[in-house]
Amino acid sequence: MKYDDPRLRDKLAAEYVLGTLRGQARARFQSLMRYDGALRSVVKDWESRLTPLARAGTDIAPPERVWQALSERLTGEPHRLRWWESLALWRGLTATCAAFALVLAIVTGVSREAEPPMAMIAVMNDTQGRPAMTVSWPSMQAARDRPFLRVRVIQEHPVMAPGTAWELWMLPGGESNPVSLGLITTDVDQVMELKPELAARIEGAWGIAMTVEPKGGSPTGQPTGPMVMQGPCVKL
Amino acid sequence: MSESARDAQAARLAELLSQSALRNQRAFSELYAVTAPKLFGVALRILRRQDWAEEVLQECYMSIWNHAGDYAITKSAPLTWMTSIVRNRCLDWLRRPQQEATGDEYEIAIDAWRDESPGPIEQLAAAGDAAALARCLEMLDGRQRQSIMLAFFHGMSHSEVANHMKEPLGTVKTWVRRGLERLKGCLQQAESP
Repeated sequence: MKYDDPRLRDKLAAEYVLGTLRGQARARFQSLMRYDGALRSVVKDWESRLTPLARAGTDIAPPERVWQALSERLTGEPHRLRWWESLALWRGLTATCAAFALVLAIVTGVSREAEPPMAMIAVMNDTQGRPAMTVSWPSMQAARDRPFLRVRVIQEHPVMAPGTAWELWMLPGGESNPVSLGLITTDVDQVMELKPELAARIEGAWGIAMTVEPKGGSPTGQPTGPMVMQGPCVKL
Repeated sequence: MSESARDAQAARLAELLSQSALRNQRAFSELYAVTAPKLFGVALRILRRQDWAEEVLQECYMSIWNHAGDYAITKSAPLTWMTSIVRNRCLDWLRRPQQEATGDEYEIAIDAWRDESPGPIEQLAAAGDAAALARCLEMLDGRQRQSIMLAFFHGMSHSEVANHMKEPLGTVKTWVRRGLERLKGCLQQAESP
């Protein structure tokens, strides 16, 4: 299916909002939406058109127990963390991932001549938890003349929607906010040069994430779009 | 409800959402009191089971509490935003294979959408801001309207609508598609001065 056909996009959005888009088609549409802000706004337009229909239904008061359960959860649950804060839970898990990452590195890390060996890797999972991309880099000491990251796609990329960009973020240690590493392309194998100030910090990073941002990258310097891939950094 | 009363209600709901984003539990409890009967009705009609509807409603309000801060950037009407959260959660719930909704007790309610009984649409027309929607629905072919209503209110899939209306699946799909297209055209005309 060609998801860039405006009529098809409109039809799918309408049926998504109506509720007749089901099963796999619904799941696929939801993952397209994550990448595609323009598609989200087509959906929003359909929500504005159709959702007022809900007013025609009669109100039905829920039983008291629903509110009781809710208010218990409100007082019990901690403040919601931003995604990069909640990812901090990984920090304890990285050791168990090391073996897996090592195997992957053997598969993906066929080193090129004159390229220093990779020292760290982040195996990034998509939102369904499937490995989708790796980001690896050599020891910054060894690559100090030309610090770089290597980005490899290990699962078919979704299409980059028009007007959007994919931005990579390094999750530094401590409570610091994500730091932009820059925009990547859809190439399956690409090298991204690192500014020296980033090279100095990346060895302390504990994770890498990717978000979908407006064309040209996040306007605020912090992630603004949905996070679509993430993974902890592991020593090789 | 008059137009100004509706605007005031929307403004109040938006205010309660922004207070909820600041973890104001009292504002959230008022938000719940005002909106839960509407949203529970929405969930119950789609899921057709009281226990599922209660569970989904609880999850949705947790999600509203946690994402109240995101509301401001959506630029939707507050009730539209909240209703969409509930509808989407219900439809995702129905996607679980073991959760095939059944329940004959709702057949009576479903019959209300037959083309010869415009009752609920009159109700919609009386809601003022949905008057254009009601007018456009009335302009649809009866079969198109009925299939859209069954899908929207009762979370029926194409094949459930086809079973219910005793019509071939392909025919129902066409009614739904054409009905949505005409509805959009009609609403766009209503918007332009």
